[in-house]
Amino acid sequence: MSTLRAHDLTKTYRKGRVEIDVLRGLSFELERGEFLTIVGRSGSGKSTLLNLLGGLDRATGGRIEVGGRDLSAMSRGELTRHRRETVGMIFQSFNLISSRSALANVTLALAFGDHPRSDRGRRGRELLEAVGLGDRVDHVPSELSGGEAQRVAIARAIANDPDVVLADEPTGNLDSATADEIIALLGRLNRESGVTIVMVTHDEPGARSVSDRMLRLLDGRFVEAPEGVAA
Amino acid sequence: MTFGDLTMIAVDNLRRTRLRTFLTTLGVVIGIGVLVSMVSFGSGVQRNVTDTFRKNQLFTTLRVLPVEVDLEDAVGGNLQSVADAAVLDDAVLDSVRSLPNVLFAYPEIRFPVIVRLGERETRAQLAGLPVALGTYPPFDDIPYGRYFTSESDSIIILTQSVLADLGLRVAEERASSTRDDVVGLAPLSADSLLLRRIEIVTSVLEPAALSMANPSGAFRDEVRSYRVGGIMAKSEGIGGLSLSGGVNLAIETAQDVPHLGFSSVWDLLGKLGQEGGYPSIHVRVQDPDDLQDVRTAVEDMGLGVFTFADQLDEFRQQFLVVDALLGAVGTVALIIASLGIINTMVTSILERTREIGIMKALGGSEGQIRGIFFIEAGVIGLLGGIFGVLLGWGVTRIANSVANYWLRPQGVEAVDLFHIPLWLAAGAVGFAIAVSLLAGLYPAARAARVDPVRALRHD
Repeated sequence: MSTLRAHDLTKTYRKGRVEIDVLRGLSFELERGEFLTIVGRSGSGKSTLLNLLGGLDRATGGRIEVGGRDLSAMSRGELTRHRRETVGMIFQSFNLISSRSALANVTLALAFGDHPRSDRGRRGRELLEAVGLGDRVDHVPSELSGGEAQRVAIARAIANDPDVVLADEPTGNLDSATADEIIALLGRLNRESGVTIVMVTHDEPGARSVSDRMLRLLDGRFVEAPEGVAA
Repeated sequence: MTFGDLTMIAVDNLRRTRLRTFLTTLGVVIGIGVLVSMVSFGSGVQRNVTDTFRKNQLFTTLRVLPVEVDLEDAVGGNLQSVADAAVLDDAVLDSVRSLPNVLFAYPEIRFPVIVRLGERETRAQLAGLPVALGTYPPFDDIPYGRYFTSESDSIIILTQSVLADLGLRVAEERASSTRDDVVGLAPLSADSLLLRRIEIVTSVLEPAALSMANPSGAFRDEVRSYRVGGIMAKSEGIGGLSLSGGVNLAIETAQDVPHLGFSSVWDLLGKLGQEGGYPSIHVRVQDPDDLQDVRTAVEDMGLGVFTFADQLDEFRQQFLVVDALLGAVGTVALIIASLGIINTMVTSILERTREIGIMKALGGSEGQIRGIFFIEAGVIGLLGGIFGVLLGWGVTRIANSVANYWLRPQGVEAVDLFHIPLWLAAGAVGFAIAVSLLAGLYPAARAARVDPVRALRHD
């Protein structure tokens, strides 16, 4: 059963008088529990695709379904709910709230997910332990290394048990050793909890080991995928 | 995400920018402080007047007046209205006394006299007062001596104001006062004063002596002498509302004192056709609620009525205008403060754009984002309101001390010029919150509209 399906997806931005076609008719399907990696050059539309899947932005045309529901038909309230319950997002620049501790960043997500207040601390620690940060819970982002910050972001992304984790160049700001660790962590997450992952990356070789499938995006279209990926 | 969660986020945000929050809140504090001190002045004056009325039990008092003669009518030859005016004579007095709910009624006896004590002399108003008034303030608490015990009592009761005009004061047993208002007054013990006799001098018209050659020769001085029986505190009437005169006699004794029936030409004209009448009749009722019935009854008799309750209503309306004007000044200050709130919050949104984007990506709804900023504005308003009321209170305390410091040497008793009733304090805090929320309206809407894609873009 496919949990994620896009059909003839288009997205056009207007910049002044100029229209830029970022996505020009994308179609793909993703099974539950799959790990999809999308590679492509900067400006090929990778981030735009993730923003559409994450419900942060709306498509110009085509259909995009997550868990059987069409995002383009959703009201703003339903999109908010989609962001809260169905997807978890990870960004290249971590996007942690700088004034809040690692734990507080995770519990903020739990609060938005209406997790009972009394249990948020326990659940937050559990999540941080799961990503290997059991001893860094009270540190603020500026006291964390890039790899640690991204682990906090991963813990935050899975806090509300999403169906899909969307990772937008999660290793773009990290050195290669740390990048490998983060990709390995995502791979482990995918294997152990069965969460569907869509990752956008430049790091094609690094992603190959954990991905079930790899798609290449070029000028808003998928092109011939790289050679088959080992499971 | 509960309201409590949103509040915690909001308070956390305010704490992070402590200095800015403090300065913004200070604007509200000053605005509310000005508002509260302004309005509390109006409300203080109002309370003082109302308290004085109540203390002197003026709400159970009414005055019966002859239907007023319109002077213009009289001069213009329309004598009908003059003729129609009822005369307040003893017959009217008796029928007023027999009205239900009337405790007692007495005619107004009041005329100017010269008061003499040995070599000393001054002018004063003499009033005739009935025994029944003795249970009412200020006559129920005469500091030295006593009140009248019969309607024809032979004693005279002075006020300390007249005493001061005579250059005397009551020597107090307490340590000698150094207040400015007694400087130059000869102290005299109350006991020795109460033994003295006072001469009251009135002018009377001697028709027989009236001649064109010497018109002033028609006036003759009439001198009567009374023993000082009581000394009252300074009269504390408001405007002309004081019941007592500077010197007071028992009512029948006063009626026996010969005097001119008028004190000015206008007085004379106003009394055309009312010879033998009293200028007014004072009426006391048991309960303020009875006042209206008596009023209606008196008006049905074709007479005019003046009540202190009417007077107070009139005062109240004037106070309302004053309050509104004073309040407007404070409101201007608060509007400026609200611009500060808008400015601070818009700045804060620009700084926190990414944070807002993160919250949206985590599933924060527009309503929740709006709520956070709204609560921030509300908290600024709440703090500003509370501390503003405290500031206003402090300012009025200081202003009150300063005012009393200057007024005391002029013989004015210490008064509380300002009053912050609960409704004012609560209203001020509520107003501060309301204005702050209003100021937060635009920033909150703007925060809710932040585009998460833009806010989260990697740069």
